Amino acid sequence: MIGMTMLDLRPRVAATTILERRELADGVILLTLHAPELADATQPGQYLMAIPPSGEAAATALAVYEAEGKRASILFFVTGKRTRELANLACGDQLDVVGPLGNGFDCSGDADDVAIVAGGVGIASVWLCARELLRRGAHVRLFYGARTAELLVETQRFADAGCELVLATDDGTRGERGFVTDALVGARKPEAIYACGPSPMLRRVGEIANGFGVRAQLSLEETFGCGVGGCWGCVVPLTNASAQAPNFPPAERGGSDVVYARICKEGPVFWAHELRW
Amino acid sequence: MVNPQPALAIKLGKLELAYPTLMGSGCYGSGEEFAPFVDLSKIGAIVLKSVTRLPRLGNPTPRLVQTPAGMLNAIGLQNPGIEWYLEHELHKYAGRPCKIVGSIAGFEIDDYAYVCERLAARDEIEAIELNVSCPNVAQEGETFGCDPDLTARVVEAARATTNKTLIVKLSPNVTDIVAVARQAENSGADALAVINTVRGMAIDVETWRPRLGNITGGLSGPAIRPIAVLAVYEIAQVVSIPIVGQGGIETLADALEFFLAGATAISIGTANFTDPRIPERLVAELQAYLTRRNIGSIQEIVGRAHVEIATAHQYEGDEG
Repeated sequence: MIGMTMLDLRPRVAATTILERRELADGVILLTLHAPELADATQPGQYLMAIPPSGEAAATALAVYEAEGKRASILFFVTGKRTRELANLACGDQLDVVGPLGNGFDCSGDADDVAIVAGGVGIASVWLCARELLRRGAHVRLFYGARTAELLVETQRFADAGCELVLATDDGTRGERGFVTDALVGARKPEAIYACGPSPMLRRVGEIANGFGVRAQLSLEETFGCGVGGCWGCVVPLTNASAQAPNFPPAERGGSDVVYARICKEGPVFWAHELRW
Repeated sequence: MVNPQPALAIKLGKLELAYPTLMGSGCYGSGEEFAPFVDLSKIGAIVLKSVTRLPRLGNPTPRLVQTPAGMLNAIGLQNPGIEWYLEHELHKYAGRPCKIVGSIAGFEIDDYAYVCERLAARDEIEAIELNVSCPNVAQEGETFGCDPDLTARVVEAARATTNKTLIVKLSPNVTDIVAVARQAENSGADALAVINTVRGMAIDVETWRPRLGNITGGLSGPAIRPIAVLAVYEIAQVVSIPIVGQGGIETLADALEFFLAGATAISIGTANFTDPRIPERLVAELQAYLTRRNIGSIQEIVGRAHVEIATAHQYEGDEG
């Protein structure tokens, strides 16, 4: 990067404006924000904290779905009070966010044949990753599962961009019936795996990657407190030997071989083989 | 540095703060996490996460549950232990544009004395908060804060190791918090932090299991504010050392309640999770409030809500 103009990648509080609101399916919302600095700084797999317009506790952690030009977007499922409040925002409304935050996917490397695995709302974390991998010429297979056909959103976008789609639904209404990880097991061995989805899916992806003998990057989800690394509320056990392990003494210094790492700070993306969950 | 808002300056023992706002222990990391988007020169002090004598992995997950008007946490004092902390962490806090208060927790009285001595000896640390009230470590941690005599012994032991300001953080999970406060003052505390979290629990009705890995947790946020205001009000009547009021402070009105109840300073914790701009906003709003009401200093309103319950007695008299 020497000699280049460095982007300012530090997180900041930004007042964004809703440019577009789409309901992709019942309870699945896509909000496009006017957020130039956020769009500039966001790396694949990073997230933001949406400050609730009502001021009612607490902020909501959401993956940055798209980041292009002056626009960034968030794609989320309405699951409770806070996401309902966000879903009720309209075009022109202001939404203050903190971001971009966290360590996202490492899309560098020379893997030509990669698999992205997304479960449910996990799709929101992988678009920028897919775009980056496609840009550097990789063949990208998207293994994408949801409860039912309607909840498999944005498939056309991934297909148009050049991803090969492997779909699965719990009820068989679209793609394979069953878990998307079952499709991954029987598929051609990829050279690298990227995944975001519910914890059971991610654990299974980790096992499958191990079986394939390939490395997998998993984007984890957990209830966040502060969202910036201050409270140690959202943690996952990680080998203390990991480059992502937080500052903690090793076993021979009275510490431990396994430490809790903050999903919001050291993560949300971790190497599957370094997790001890 | 010239303080642009002298009306908000306060003192806790020897600790002089430009603003009466502390960031609650365990809620604000070391400050570096918030530094990219918060002007740390606009807050009084950061109270660091508690450190113990030995490393602690902390509690199993999940550690947080959102609850109405607040949240339950059970972190379990995850920290690398005092030796590692001094060697690898503390140097990062030098040069912060706000004051840094160390926080220590322990399981034996000797632990507090040992860690306090080591930590207070460092220049980066301007004061020490004694966490005798963590509700999330099996028994021992909170035992101290729940017993006036044990609290006294912890404070005495720590007091013997340092002349820096000692703040004792009190537990609300007691029958008589005033008795604990009185003992802390008598044993050498310079200030009291009132209150730590309130013990609580949430159960997942799908799985029929506790929602926290630790089963129980500490409740924070606006849900506990009235409990905290009462504790400050009652303690202020019996102690003469300053009180740092805390428990669900989000707005100017919340902050004023604590000052009026008898707090010299306030601490902000969970509100930072909703909007990290809240501490800076509160300082601006407090200043504007004092100006609007033509009040020279925040210290003039401390404890001003204290009144006698006079009317009820008078009615009794009238009826007689």
